[in-house]
Amino acid sequence: MHLYDVLRRPLVTEKNAILQMGGKYAFEVAGVATKPQIRQAVEQAFKVTVTAVNVMTVPGKERRVGRRQARTPSWKKAIVTLQPGDKIEFFENV
Amino acid sequence: MKITNDKTENSETYLTIEMDSTEMEEASGNVYRRLVKQVNIPGFRKGKAPRPVLERFVGQERLLSDMLEDLVPRAYEKAIEEQQLEAIAQPKIEVIETDPVKFQAVVPLKPVVNLGDYQQIQVAEEPVEVTEETVDRVIEDLRHQYATWEPVERAAQMDDLLNLDVESTIDGEPYINQKGARYRLIAESQTPVPGFAEQLVGMNKDDEKEFNLQFPEDYAQSELAGKEAVFKVSVPEINEEKLPEVTDEFATQVEAEIGSVEELRDRIRSDLQNRAEDRTRMDFEQRAIEAVVEISEVEFPSVLVETEIHRLMEDQARTLRMQGLSFEQYLISARKTEEELHEELRPIATKRVAESLALMKLSEEENIEVEEADIDAEISRVTEDTAEDRKEELRKTLNTPQMRESIQTTLLTRKTVEKLVEIARDSGETETSQKEEK
Repeated sequence: MHLYDVLRRPLVTEKNAILQMGGKYAFEVAGVATKPQIRQAVEQAFKVTVTAVNVMTVPGKERRVGRRQARTPSWKKAIVTLQPGDKIEFFENV
Repeated sequence: MKITNDKTENSETYLTIEMDSTEMEEASGNVYRRLVKQVNIPGFRKGKAPRPVLERFVGQERLLSDMLEDLVPRAYEKAIEEQQLEAIAQPKIEVIETDPVKFQAVVPLKPVVNLGDYQQIQVAEEPVEVTEETVDRVIEDLRHQYATWEPVERAAQMDDLLNLDVESTIDGEPYINQKGARYRLIAESQTPVPGFAEQLVGMNKDDEKEFNLQFPEDYAQSELAGKEAVFKVSVPEINEEKLPEVTDEFATQVEAEIGSVEELRDRIRSDLQNRAEDRTRMDFEQRAIEAVVEISEVEFPSVLVETEIHRLMEDQARTLRMQGLSFEQYLISARKTEEELHEELRPIATKRVAESLALMKLSEEENIEVEEADIDAEISRVTEDTAEDRKEELRKTLNTPQMRESIQTTLLTRKTVEKLVEIARDSGETETSQKEEK
């Protein structure tokens, strides 16, 4: 798996905006990505030092499609803590 | 904020206003606070998005334009206050730089009118004269108007009225085919083809004639220009114009209440006299006004001219609409663009503005005022001639504050012009009397 495929998109939300103040940035990542891969990908892509990576699987939600019950896909979220002082500017919405 | 007063000319002040960084920050902060409450950004509740996120979401241009919208007018207000300028209309604003914001404002100021010594104005009055010849000419016209047509047995001459049977073709295609057409022979007539009337002169009753005529190259209908038409004409009837004798009966025919030729002549003479007097009076007024403008310094900002041009154009459009033409159609037929017309009207508009400003000033100098009672009087004068059932309605429309104001302006102008005419005439008289004393 190539490093560029690890990070899917940055998550820009109100909650994450608050996290960002503490140097924590959230991404949607590939489901098969591991913590070391995520660390490496973030460090390379944004030229920063990562001190911690937390990952979680966000379960998909029940959705109704007509009369059928369906489920949106689950996905993996990673919250990356950077070394104090490092910053990521979300310019491109990958 | 830094304000530079560059220059003042033609009653317009050029200001350059440069904002400093704290003001810029304050302004962009205001914009952020306002926008964040309105914009729905995914991932954030309204009003909760942090500034960088909002900036990225709505884009720099939007933020900048919003900021200018907010910042520029306020800065302008402050600037003219600081410079103690009295603006009479919206300024022309041009943004030169955006970081920090720097813009130029052209402030239209109150027009400056320095009346010259208008008491000295004198305009020569042109004597009004109605000569007997002009009366004769009018009577001659009337005779033609009341002429009768009588068939005659002779060759056709100019000014005869013919009954014509016409067959004609152009390039083999039928052109005019008409039986019993009434055609008046008029020298150098352009219809249907130049030279047509001349061809008919000398024909006798029931004659037939064939001839070719060529349309001139510059004929108004371009599709016919330069083509040759083949005519075949026969004349079943030739009529001669019989002018009525100038008798008392003729006078009565012209105007039922007139009994004699002498009365008719008097009536014509007095009509002509009145019209000529009206014309000379208007001419006199116009020349007096022009004389005032001539000796005065009138300086005004160009917005006034622009508004006047717009007024003129709207007037024109309204007149055209009454003739059932749209303004666009008119422009096409006159082969003009709106901008060209705009520019064409500029000299007239400039002149008008100068004149009305001079008159306004004059009315101030002379303490001419219009009382409420004058306006009432004018309203009743205007409504006097309207039908009884519509009088009330008209009176109501005229009695609105806006209409009253416009009536007031009209009256004021009229009074001022009257005063001016008096001055222009008086000083002329005193001058002559002085001469006589010498």
